[in-house]
Amino acid sequence: MSNGPLLRHLLPTTVVGSYSVPQWLERLKTEYYQRRISAAHLAEIHEVAIKAAIKDQEQAGIDIVSDGELRRDNDIDYFLARIPGVLIERRAKTDYYDYLEAEVAAELPADDKESLGLAADYAFTSGLTDRPVKFSFTGPFSLSRRISGAPAYRDPADLVRALARRLNLEARSLAAAGAGFLQIDEPFLAGYPEQAELAVEAVNIVTDGVPVTWALHVCYGNRHARPSWEGHYDFLFPAVLAARVDQLVLEFARKGLDDLNLIKEYGWPYQLGLGVIDVKSPAVETPALVAERIRRAAEYVDPGRLMVNPDCGLRHLAPEVARCKLRAMVTGAAIVRTELGLPDR
Amino acid sequence: MEIDIRAAARLRGSAGAQAAVRPIVEALCGSDADLATVRVVCDWIQYKANFRETAMVRPVLAADDTVAGVTGAAAGACELAVDLRRCAQPETDVAAEVTAAILDTNPDRVWLEPWAPSSASCLWRFNALFWQALVDWEKATGREYEQTLPGGASDARNPGAATDTILDLFKIWDELASRRALPEQLYVLELGVGNGGQARTWLDQFVELDRRHGRDYYQRLHYLMGDYSAHVLDRARAEVGHHGDHVSGLVLDATRLSGTVGFLSGKAFLVYISNVYDNLPSDEVATIRGRVYLVQARSFVPGGAADEIAARFGLRRPELAQLTQRLLRIGPELLAESVPEKFPDTGQAVLFWQAVWAALRQAERYVPLEGLDTYPIAPGLTGEILRSLLAAEGDIRMHVSNGALASFADTLPLLHPFGRVVCHDLFTTGAGEYRSGFHGPGKYDGSVVNWVNGPLLQQLASRRGYDVRFSPFKQRPGSHVTTLTAAVRD
Repeated sequence: MSNGPLLRHLLPTTVVGSYSVPQWLERLKTEYYQRRISAAHLAEIHEVAIKAAIKDQEQAGIDIVSDGELRRDNDIDYFLARIPGVLIERRAKTDYYDYLEAEVAAELPADDKESLGLAADYAFTSGLTDRPVKFSFTGPFSLSRRISGAPAYRDPADLVRALARRLNLEARSLAAAGAGFLQIDEPFLAGYPEQAELAVEAVNIVTDGVPVTWALHVCYGNRHARPSWEGHYDFLFPAVLAARVDQLVLEFARKGLDDLNLIKEYGWPYQLGLGVIDVKSPAVETPALVAERIRRAAEYVDPGRLMVNPDCGLRHLAPEVARCKLRAMVTGAAIVRTELGLPDR
Repeated sequence: MEIDIRAAARLRGSAGAQAAVRPIVEALCGSDADLATVRVVCDWIQYKANFRETAMVRPVLAADDTVAGVTGAAAGACELAVDLRRCAQPETDVAAEVTAAILDTNPDRVWLEPWAPSSASCLWRFNALFWQALVDWEKATGREYEQTLPGGASDARNPGAATDTILDLFKIWDELASRRALPEQLYVLELGVGNGGQARTWLDQFVELDRRHGRDYYQRLHYLMGDYSAHVLDRARAEVGHHGDHVSGLVLDATRLSGTVGFLSGKAFLVYISNVYDNLPSDEVATIRGRVYLVQARSFVPGGAADEIAARFGLRRPELAQLTQRLLRIGPELLAESVPEKFPDTGQAVLFWQAVWAALRQAERYVPLEGLDTYPIAPGLTGEILRSLLAAEGDIRMHVSNGALASFADTLPLLHPFGRVVCHDLFTTGAGEYRSGFHGPGKYDGSVVNWVNGPLLQQLASRRGYDVRFSPFKQRPGSHVTTLTAAVRD
């Protein structure tokens, strides 16, 4: 954990991770599974799409960019398909976005050093931009929820811990490759509120000994642009106070700002990634609305601890909508910066 | 020359149909048609009242001549469409019908509209008028709509179907209640309420089962009835009056739900739809020799029938199209008021309506689709969604079910995460079914009946994270009705 150099100016803007997946890319990803295009061609297509996604973010004025997670079919498969010991019998899909069915027959190998390839993904992205890069990956708790059977682990919590250890190795590789800002996504945690302590324990295994700025993103799901669960973030507290991360990234635009009370009430001491863009709605927020959301948040959290981002990934938004939303977010943050008498950049 | 006999099963069972194939071929061979480019498609049109002639030619255009700047859209080929059922009848002179279709380049017809995709054809305005002015139609025929249905009653009255869905809901609600996650209001939405029979059966059954279940869910229940026809809705309201505040009625367009019942987003535990989708506008697309075409249609009244209608109502022939358009715009009551010299009362205007409807036919042609993504199917949906179905099936013609898709796409977001759509309708359940049968449009009393492209709805649902399953309508074995159930996946 590190307080990192990321907050070089007030209210930096960033993304949560995924970027708009255009319809043509969805089609090509599915065609790969139907054996119509090769893996090599799809890899090249992904690289071109990532370049475009970074350019879009730069042009929108985003301070900390991501690769848009455009290589990943969804939030799970990219990782489970690469973790040694995770078995996926059937790798064909009707639609690329479907989940693969994964199992773990024996305990995950403890001494396997095989790379999952995330460091190479990071290196590709950082080579394309002068801006800081946020690199996100799905956390061990959510990954474990998509493993249908793990008979070797009598206690399901042990599978979560084993996945966390594997991700810790990958995080170390990412840090060695120069990554300075890593984010753990736990999109399934809201569906299992009683497991918050286990999820936090696993997060701490992932971040252990990796000196980067760490963010933890918890939302209510964004599968098919729908929330998978409803509720409030109170389930996270006080367990999340024990998480060794620098930043909590939460959704507020869709759900409203009521849960900001929790940040104040429990005294969350670090940064807050403030969701100000509703990624489940195609309606583009005005900069004024974004600014108002930031102002309201500043009543609860010192602006010096706020980072401005969408509620979640932008993958389900049409490209033009995603671009407009990011521009509105950047402009909204600039409005508040100016009001606070600080230079825009 | 290709000969595609879709009605293969009928061919095997009908000597008349078998005998009809030879004169079709002979008539073509005796004509000047370029046989290398001719396709013959033989359907068995089971709807005795339909929009087709026994034999008709459908040009396959090289370009869409309705697009500005496109000229010389000459037919690249043509398709001869034949109704094998009528050809199999001994009184039909098959060779003469085919020859007339091939040779008759300027047939005697009163055109009612310009060329347009099928969903924009006036036959759907006739259909809409039927539901809007149902009371006038029923008065003229002396029969209520339900009496024209097979068996004389709607499937919606079936208490067995209601019991199944109610008990499923109880299971879900018990589970949510155990997690203190049961919402205060429990919403059920019915689209296309008919005469309220379904609502009454369902609600009465609900009260009884809830009493036995002992959780008093009825107190939280809100049953919303939505229908296109205010008249139908009034009748339905009267039918369920004894359920008081538990029921509300909304006049709505099933293809544009978000504007009227958008407040239900994420809240509906059950959306019940019975025999609505088959009655919503649909285009048809076809793949012919590997190229994708949109079917364009143009409605007409054959010259002979037009003369008869004109004589019966004291019209000049050119007035027929004009008065039909006016009828579709303002309905029979206002038509009678505006042209009393022709239609002294509403009943006479309805008779005119019925006569035109009975005589109505459609010409068809194929216009190439230059890109599936440039073909808007429904709000927010392009022809891209057709791609995998078309790619998998080779040369095929299928419904796009635009209205059903729009409605379904607007319905899914209404569902609570544990909610489901239950829909009884005429669905194809595999794209291959279009190869072996005719699935509409046909005429049903004053309305249109058109099978719904089930795999396409399945595809849409899958892309939005829902599973769709089809099962036989178990409460009426042997019927063509299929039950579609959609629920959240993952």
